[in-house]
Amino acid sequence: MSSPILEVRDLHKSYDEGRIEALRGVDLLIEPGDYVAISGPSGSGKSTLLQLLGGLDEPTRGQVLFQGAPLGRGAALDSYRSRQIGFIFQAFYLLPTLRAVENVQVAMLAVPGAANHRAQRAQTLLEEMGLAHRMNQFPNQLSAGERQRVAIARALANDPAILLADEPTGNLDSVNSAHVMEILTGIQKQRGMTLIVVTHAQEIACCAPRHIRIRDGRIEP
Amino acid sequence: MASQLSFTAFAWKNLWRRRLRTLLTLGGIGMAIGAFVGLVGFSRSFEHAWLMMYESSGTTMDVVQQSFLNTSVDQSDGARLRALPQVELAAPMILNLLSLSSDVNALSYGWKADSYEFQSLHILAGRRFRDGQPEVMLGDLLAQSLHKSPGDTIEIEGSPFTVVGVYHGESALEAGAVILPLDQMQKLGSLQGKVTAFHLRLKPPPPGVPEDRYLAQVSAEIEKMFPRLRAIPAAQRASNNQLVQLSHAAAWGTSLIALLIGILGIANTMAMSVFERTREIGILRALGWKQWRVMLLIQLEAATLGLAGGLLGMAIGFLALRVLALLPQTATVVSTSIPVALLAEALGIALLAGLVAGALPAWRGAQLSPVEALRHE
Repeated sequence: MSSPILEVRDLHKSYDEGRIEALRGVDLLIEPGDYVAISGPSGSGKSTLLQLLGGLDEPTRGQVLFQGAPLGRGAALDSYRSRQIGFIFQAFYLLPTLRAVENVQVAMLAVPGAANHRAQRAQTLLEEMGLAHRMNQFPNQLSAGERQRVAIARALANDPAILLADEPTGNLDSVNSAHVMEILTGIQKQRGMTLIVVTHAQEIACCAPRHIRIRDGRIEP
Repeated sequence: MASQLSFTAFAWKNLWRRRLRTLLTLGGIGMAIGAFVGLVGFSRSFEHAWLMMYESSGTTMDVVQQSFLNTSVDQSDGARLRALPQVELAAPMILNLLSLSSDVNALSYGWKADSYEFQSLHILAGRRFRDGQPEVMLGDLLAQSLHKSPGDTIEIEGSPFTVVGVYHGESALEAGAVILPLDQMQKLGSLQGKVTAFHLRLKPPPPGVPEDRYLAQVSAEIEKMFPRLRAIPAAQRASNNQLVQLSHAAAWGTSLIALLIGILGIANTMAMSVFERTREIGILRALGWKQWRVMLLIQLEAATLGLAGGLLGMAIGFLALRVLALLPQTATVVSTSIPVALLAEALGIALLAGLVAGALPAWRGAQLSPVEALRHE
């Protein structure tokens, strides 16, 4: 058995000076190349868990380990996010003043690299997403499905080890939802990446090889 | 072909998204830098004109009262000054500011008709005045703004004077001035026997003695001989006389106020920009942008505003000097040539203004937590 890519030990996260406990002791092991769906009711703590796994926030107590080493703080977390993590959000979070191809390059500005290499890689990724003809459009000129595909290309820009998707189909119709999930699972299989998807949609959660349910900040047995 | 996104292009796109605000901010800093270039350029022209005046006549030392523009030096001291072995020529003179018409005030000099300082002037029309006569010579710039030529009469302090000559002087302080016989100036101000200064042309320093040491020695000797007077080397006198210092102080004071307003304008723009882009900064942080990179982006935007405003300000300042050079009230002391050092200084100040103004918004932007910033509506 390979060593886990992510390990979560007794993870707690509270807000508002401890009055709100989003996570109350989560333990979790995720192997490299796993496809994991996390579901649960609103406010159960699933997005908080994803944020802590992705180094967007720091736990109140407990640890997240990436390849056996605890995630650092501050700049170390920034490096972890830029090199190991690709985020996909429900609201896409594209920058409105940049073209699709530039939005993909923004992620690559976080790490050293030549401008022409960035542009070439962004173009290749958008072509893989079926957006070769839309790469010079601004986000407001793209459909919701196209925007999410640009966001996926951006998440892949720095060739991360882990893709974290927070309700990636939450703003999409059923056709686009199916298309986006097809792309994500295709990437996971093709590249052997670890894919963790937070979702409300049971049809997505049930299709994942591993399904974790969270309720009241704890993983349900 | 896919467009390439560089860090600087990204900063520029952020500025250009709010074109009107960016242009208004540029206008603000541009006006501030324009005021700096115009006013400081004006005051430095003024200083340069003093130096030119001394240099063109070959004056190496100015012997004056302790306080500037105080016409209380005894004219009779000239004989003892001339007797000094280092002094080649000594010319008594009076300096004053006289009203020549309702809107023209001019520097006015009282010289002896045989003053060596006439050597630096080119008489364009007419002749040199005679001592003891109500005659004047006008600098060409002044003659032009007064529309006077030889044979005309002008009234000074209620007395009529005949314009006998029009001259050109290298310095704007000469070209825009009126020169009267010394005795006539003394008569106008009831200053018989008194002068403002003696302009000295010294003999060259003895071989092997550096110019500075020579000037210091002569100065000390004169001040010992006349304890109430000061003997100041011309170059030093050009930069430290009260008129020049006053013009520097006024220029810098006004410029600093304008610059402060410009800095506040950029700071306001950057603070609003950071607030509006809170979520976008959160996205960048989520993508792994380090805090210093976010700060650098915001500082680059602020510095771009400062630099672009600086370039605009240089153009505004140049235009302002051109306008001042056309106005009769100021034409005599304004030079439209702006020293490269002043332009570099203006650009440096504009850049610094941008960086100072952007510092706090950049720091605040970089401190945003990615999660909090992404939640921002």
